[in-house]
Amino acid sequence: MSLLLIALLPFLCIPLPLLAVHYGRTACAWVTALGPAIALALLLGSAPTVFGGETVTVAWSWLPVLGLELAFVLDGYSLLFAALILGIGLLIILYARYYLSESDPMGRFYAMLLAFMGAMLGIVLSNNLILMVIFWELTSISSFLLIGYWRHLAEARQGARMALTITGAGGLCLLAGVLLLGEIVGSYELTTVLDSGELIRAHPLYELTLVLILLGAFTKSAQVPFHFWLPHAMAAPTPVSAYLHSATMVKAGVFLLARLFPALAGSDLWFFLVSGVGLATLVFGAYGALFKDDLKGLLAYSTISHLGLITLLFGLGTPAGAVAGVFHIINHATFKASLFMSAGIIDHEAGTRDIRRLGGLRHKMPHTMWLATIAAASMAGVPLLNGFISKEMFFAEVVVESERLGAAGWLLPAVATLGGLLSAAYSIRFVHDVFFGDSRESLPKEPHEPPRYMRVPVEVLIGICVAVGVAPALVIGPVLDVAMAGVLRGEVPYYSLALWHGFKLPLFMSVIALGGGLLLYLWRDRAEALHERVFPAITGKGTFEAVLAGAVALSRGITRAFDNGSVQRNLAWLLTAAIVLGGYGLWTGGYSVGDAHQTPAPWAAFGIWAMLLAAMTALVVLHRNRLIALILVGVAGLLSAVTFIYISAPDLALTQLSVEVVSVILLLMALRLLPEHTPRESSAGRRLRDGALAVLGGGGVAAAAYAVMTQPFTTISDYHLVNSVPGGGGSNVVNVILVDFRGFDTFGEITVLGIAAACVFALLAQGASATESAHRESNHPLMLLVGSRVMLPMMVAVALYIFLRGHNLPGGGFIAGLVATVALVTQYMASGIHWSERRFTGSYFPVIGWGLLIAGATGVVSWLFGAPFLTSAYTYVDWPVLGHFEIASAMAFDLGVFLTVVGAVVLMLANLGKQPAHGDKEESSWSS
Amino acid sequence: MLTAALNIAIAAVLLAMLLSLWRLLRGPAPEDRVLALDTLYINTIALVLMLSIRFDSRLYFEAALLIAMTGFVGTIALAKYLLRGNLMD
Amino acid sequence: MLEALASVLILFGAFFVLVGSLGLARLPDFFTRLHGPTKATTLGLAAVCAAFIAFAAGSGNGLSVRELLILVFLFITAPVSAFVLGRAALRRGTPSMTPPPAPLEDADDDRHR
Repeated sequence: MSLLLIALLPFLCIPLPLLAVHYGRTACAWVTALGPAIALALLLGSAPTVFGGETVTVAWSWLPVLGLELAFVLDGYSLLFAALILGIGLLIILYARYYLSESDPMGRFYAMLLAFMGAMLGIVLSNNLILMVIFWELTSISSFLLIGYWRHLAEARQGARMALTITGAGGLCLLAGVLLLGEIVGSYELTTVLDSGELIRAHPLYELTLVLILLGAFTKSAQVPFHFWLPHAMAAPTPVSAYLHSATMVKAGVFLLARLFPALAGSDLWFFLVSGVGLATLVFGAYGALFKDDLKGLLAYSTISHLGLITLLFGLGTPAGAVAGVFHIINHATFKASLFMSAGIIDHEAGTRDIRRLGGLRHKMPHTMWLATIAAASMAGVPLLNGFISKEMFFAEVVVESERLGAAGWLLPAVATLGGLLSAAYSIRFVHDVFFGDSRESLPKEPHEPPRYMRVPVEVLIGICVAVGVAPALVIGPVLDVAMAGVLRGEVPYYSLALWHGFKLPLFMSVIALGGGLLLYLWRDRAEALHERVFPAITGKGTFEAVLAGAVALSRGITRAFDNGSVQRNLAWLLTAAIVLGGYGLWTGGYSVGDAHQTPAPWAAFGIWAMLLAAMTALVVLHRNRLIALILVGVAGLLSAVTFIYISAPDLALTQLSVEVVSVILLLMALRLLPEHTPRESSAGRRLRDGALAVLGGGGVAAAAYAVMTQPFTTISDYHLVNSVPGGGGSNVVNVILVDFRGFDTFGEITVLGIAAACVFALLAQGASATESAHRESNHPLMLLVGSRVMLPMMVAVALYIFLRGHNLPGGGFIAGLVATVALVTQYMASGIHWSERRFTGSYFPVIGWGLLIAGATGVVSWLFGAPFLTSAYTYVDWPVLGHFEIASAMAFDLGVFLTVVGAVVLMLANLGKQPAHGDKEESSWSS
Repeated sequence: MLTAALNIAIAAVLLAMLLSLWRLLRGPAPEDRVLALDTLYINTIALVLMLSIRFDSRLYFEAALLIAMTGFVGTIALAKYLLRGNLMD
Repeated sequence: MLEALASVLILFGAFFVLVGSLGLARLPDFFTRLHGPTKATTLGLAAVCAAFIAFAAGSGNGLSVRELLILVFLFITAPVSAFVLGRAALRRGTPSMTPPPAPLEDADDDRHR
């Protein structure tokens, strides 16, 4: 139970800093630290159990159908990572209190930091692979927010977007890989998957699964060629960089490599892919760091390099390599966090972090100098510091594994030494160029030591660096043991944390690395000249942007091919697809007409249909005159409604009629912004194409309908007819379907309607004219004025009538809503928009809102009775005088539908009516 | 007797609708077409009421009522368009 | 008895509905055509409504006045639509058999605003 609390505490605490920021910055920091501190205490409380060899797991079922569980696991490895995340997170909270300036919104910063912390904790504690991917994506999103914290800076926004794109895309690959993994094993439970290593590696899908999962890990851990997002993420505030690029975010990738080590590692593909990428990243990052003039840029590239080193260690695929990898994860987290924080202090107090402008700070900031120097020495691998020990282990493993490469065996140790050499060189540069040499006079600020408590987090971390470096077996040995038991799930191989291994090859490599690094630093001018000449100008950012632009252009091209803004083309594609699919069905399935009973049509019906055909033929001929076309469409609507009435579909007829009139009003308002006649634009070929499509499409639908309806067939309508009264308490099946059987659909549809109304409002708001034209009798004929006002109560009464009887007889909320809309719009037309707006409510948004609220509340109420969302209930009551009445909860839902329809449709029509009058016809032009 | 009367009446109303439609297609002025559409709506109300008697069903009443209402509002909208161009000025 | 009444009313109504449309189709200009639907058709529909009420009463459902609502609707709306259409035609100068009367716009201008 406490495990769940540990994982969720940061999320639960997100509102705290937002509230506490009003009580001052220190209070805000304290309150923020509260959640992580409690979580850390709970975590350490569980530590004895884990050290005792137990694995704590908790699980709740979430979406069992998908294999998704809310499951967490605490073993040695997740304990180590969770402690790193929470511990360094607390230090970052303290540091950020002094780093952020008065003008930075601190509450927002801490809230996002907590969200990120929670997501990271989720990754390391998840015992369900899908749950882990969810947290994985949450880190992508929350890191996007953190990197883009200074949202007024373009580079912060760009960096954030790039990080999100790369790591988010990687996360999708990871999801695919994890799903495959779950398919192979038959379970998404992490512990089960880890115990099925042999099954997984023998499976034919192993290669694909591995590549997908590695893509997720490599993008997150900024491995070549996905490394470029990391330097651009340096636009974030330094506390964010210190956190994301030391203990979290980028460590999620290598965490995953180690976590899935028993399941995936051990194959040749793993070895070549992971160690190859790691090796390339190690050298590339170290080389890049050497030539960065920005302190944080240098650290960014060195982070890439060290992540490459860790990846390489896991890539070797041996237990001993994994030990070294996990050890270096801890060491890198400590010294890199302190280096980032030192860089932040320098930037904070000197006003710049450009190495070329800095120098001689040892006099002004001696304390900071010592801290930064020790951290950098650890990064370079100087003895008596933690970086040295893990680097020694790294060299030793590389030497052992080089035998696997046969003749090219010298390559691995040589390249590893080169990486160490470069690492030493940029570490020396970091310290020497900043703190030694001549003092510069032209700094933006007069540098001085930072506030006392800003140094504390760095001091804590440096203390760990030295303690681990001096007495590794004592300080870190037990932790590493229990963590490795978690990673390897069994026997931990023998490894030595001793400082002295005798005069062997690894020590020799260390000496070359440190000495060579010093030499390279001394010759840095010559190296730089070489670099300028040789290094290609291709940047990761340029490639990223080119790829992105290409993808956008490609999708735009595909979209254009189908939809270039022309409705005709859009419809042509749609119809072609339907005809091709229908034709295929006809071709393969054949066409047969059944002999079901056919109702003979009376001559009156033929009369109606003949008129319908005549009107539609005329429409084809006369459609260029838009007003005539509109009138003829009205005829079609009316005659269809008569047909619906005749074939006993009164609900359809009512809907048809009310929708018809609203459409006519809408189209008329659009018509005044359009020319009266449609110009001839289509070529003869196009007209032929469109004609053929129309004939084929219409004929096909008619033939298909005829074939289907003459066959004996059963549909879901039988079920609806039987269950309408017992299940929904209404005898009007159409209405019961709308508000009960398919009530959730209807709820979604009215929500969409409300959103659409808001969008229409937003789109039209710019053009709406506020000027009121003179209210003249000639614009608003008196007779129309009076007539419409007499009609208003009658129309509203009709709407209410249709609404109230809707559950049992033709009608319902939707039709009633449209009728009420028509009643209101009639007032707009008769009396003008300004007269009407003064008398009706100022805004229709509350009407829409109440409608949705009532409909939603009707659904929620059923929860109180333990029933699923939108379960309807009904009862019959006898009211004196009025008689026997039915009360159904569906009526309340229908009321929601009614209000939403009225609000949305009147809102849209009224705003269309407010559009400027540039299309209006002046009276003079009429009277010619 | 009623059936015979209904048959004659329905035939007459259909003929009336046909004449209205003819005027609607013929024009010549837009006002003619709108007037014809309005007449077509009223003819339809008569037809629906007659069908209601013919099939002895009371479910047609709402439809007839709504035809009367939408016919009026549609005519007003079209007339307002012809009069002003703008429906809601 | 009521059935006979309904039959007569139906035939009467259908006749005037037909006459209204005939006028719409046959009369020479818009202003004369306006007469057909507004007068004859309205009368015809009134008769059909009455027939319906008579039929409903005759078939044992009692006296129903619901259908009168349609009639009330029509009696209010028919003159209004005819008036607005006529006004539009006048304003737009639709050809007329006789010259249209002098404009009355100034006289009925609403001076309150």
